[in-house]
Amino acid sequence: MELKKDKLTEALLLLRGASNVILPVSNDGAPVFKLWDGVAEPCLSANTSLPPKDLLFPRSEKMYDYNVKTGNISEISSNKKQTVFGIRPCDVRSIENLDHAFLESGYTDSYYKTRRDGLTTIALACTETARTCFCDSMGLSPNDAPGADIVLNDRGDAYTVKSNTEKGEEITRLWKSLLSKETGKASKASGSVVCDFKARADKDLPEKLVARFDDPMWDKLSKACLGCGCCSFICPTCYCFDIGRENHGASGTAFRCWDSCMFSDYSRMAGGHDPRPSKKERLRNRYLHKLAYFNLRYGVTLCVGCGRCVDKCPANLDVTRAMDIISEGVRADG
Amino acid sequence: MSEKQEKMRQCAEKLLRDGEAGYVIGWGETRFDDRTTPIFVEDPAGAGAFVWNEYAINSLAKYLLDDKYPDKKIGLFTRGCESRAINRLLKDNQIKRENVYLIGVPCDGKKSDRCTLCRERNPILYDVLLWTPEDDPPPAAGRFDRVKDIEAMSPDERYVYWGETYDSCIRCYACRNVCPACNCRECYADMSKTGFQGKQHSRSDNQIFGVTRAFHVGDRCIECGECERVCPMNLPIMGQTQKILKDINELTGEYECGMDATSENYLGRFDLDDKDEFM
Repeated sequence: MELKKDKLTEALLLLRGASNVILPVSNDGAPVFKLWDGVAEPCLSANTSLPPKDLLFPRSEKMYDYNVKTGNISEISSNKKQTVFGIRPCDVRSIENLDHAFLESGYTDSYYKTRRDGLTTIALACTETARTCFCDSMGLSPNDAPGADIVLNDRGDAYTVKSNTEKGEEITRLWKSLLSKETGKASKASGSVVCDFKARADKDLPEKLVARFDDPMWDKLSKACLGCGCCSFICPTCYCFDIGRENHGASGTAFRCWDSCMFSDYSRMAGGHDPRPSKKERLRNRYLHKLAYFNLRYGVTLCVGCGRCVDKCPANLDVTRAMDIISEGVRADG
Repeated sequence: MSEKQEKMRQCAEKLLRDGEAGYVIGWGETRFDDRTTPIFVEDPAGAGAFVWNEYAINSLAKYLLDDKYPDKKIGLFTRGCESRAINRLLKDNQIKRENVYLIGVPCDGKKSDRCTLCRERNPILYDVLLWTPEDDPPPAAGRFDRVKDIEAMSPDERYVYWGETYDSCIRCYACRNVCPACNCRECYADMSKTGFQGKQHSRSDNQIFGVTRAFHVGDRCIECGECERVCPMNLPIMGQTQKILKDINELTGEYECGMDATSENYLGRFDLDDKDEFM
């Protein structure tokens, strides 16, 4: 099936009738995911500077209200329906990875699950890649998003529409009057995008990384790191959080908010001991989590190759360089 | 460009070979031609990794805080902005002058917005100067232009302006970590047990961080622009620190930080004989 581009607004309005629609709009030229107001032009030229993880795992989220006098605890849950449109293959995979952590680790996170059940993903395959994109080195394809409910492929004046799930079928039923049969000629136009930027993510990378836990290369790799949380906060798959409380007399609200393993108070234990006292240990932990620990536990690499951290790091640190050094068994040269 | 780069490499190599410096901090290449990354070279044979081009942008002085008690001197390529940062760190008792070997590299301006505010291309202090000083850029007439724009807003407009700015802040603290004036051993924002800084990402908690940062560094800011360069959300946060500098300029006359290592910090002044008549 295909959706003619001149029918896109109509299609989005139909979605908007059924749920909140979140899509990339231009913010000074850079696409950012925003709740769609029904008017703004979707900005689909490049991937968003911030990932969509906020939809499932908000920066700050109220968990429950409590009152210590009455002993009352009431959970706060958000079950609004959301449809994200224009999400890229890397970010779709990132949601699959978050699912592993929040739903399949032996504990079901109810806050995450409620949001996840209410989320429909309409992915847009990439027509070009940014120079920091390396998803196809991480086992993904910029041309397809198998984990999305719907995948759209740009065919010039139309999108081909492929539904992967029951939620996707619902959308195609909703769009029924707008969809037409694919025209054979145009369907050859795209679907062969590759990333120019490559990383060495060999099969044995997780084992190699773990084996080099005490390697002096971590000193070198982390020297230029500023120890800020930029990489974690713009990463689609960094999901660490902290839980806190806001007290007002006898009652209050518990919340959770994003945290970063790059911060000095993240791993500080009761009594003040910090097993990761410097940026060396913190950077090593972050890389190992992305490229080794998650693999060993869930069988997939946590890093999806979106390249945001490579693009935004204030010190221009580059995770792919670390991967190359480890894969090739060479020492860091500075 | 390459002649200067060669001089830098030779100087670093000699310092390391002679044992004058334990390592040298400079810029090295990345996988992109238009980006460099700070590198730390110990081996004289590795001095060929240093590069000098229009993308040698990152300020390097803050890395001195990672090694406050070095065995040997730390070599540091020093432009105008690094030298002002070093004055900042010296004045704040963060480093000792004898622990650093400053290799002066007059700067021709880099491809970064932060360089548009530059008033000092040549190092103010150095141990060796590798080439002849550059002409300083014309006095930045527009130094406080954007502060004036913000001052022209009504209080309500200003509240919206800063409120929306800090709605976008993700509190990654890159601005703090890159800033040579942010040199507390432990930042108040990391003292999670005290409750000084709420950890929630809300407008009010973000604004608390913004205001605290501005006042904490405002009278000590060397205007290097690194905070805005590193901000992943491109927030105009120098509008706050520069407001404080502008006010000080108007109250006391010319005031600029990092030009020497002795001048008093304006907001850090106190007088034991102060009668506190307003109390």
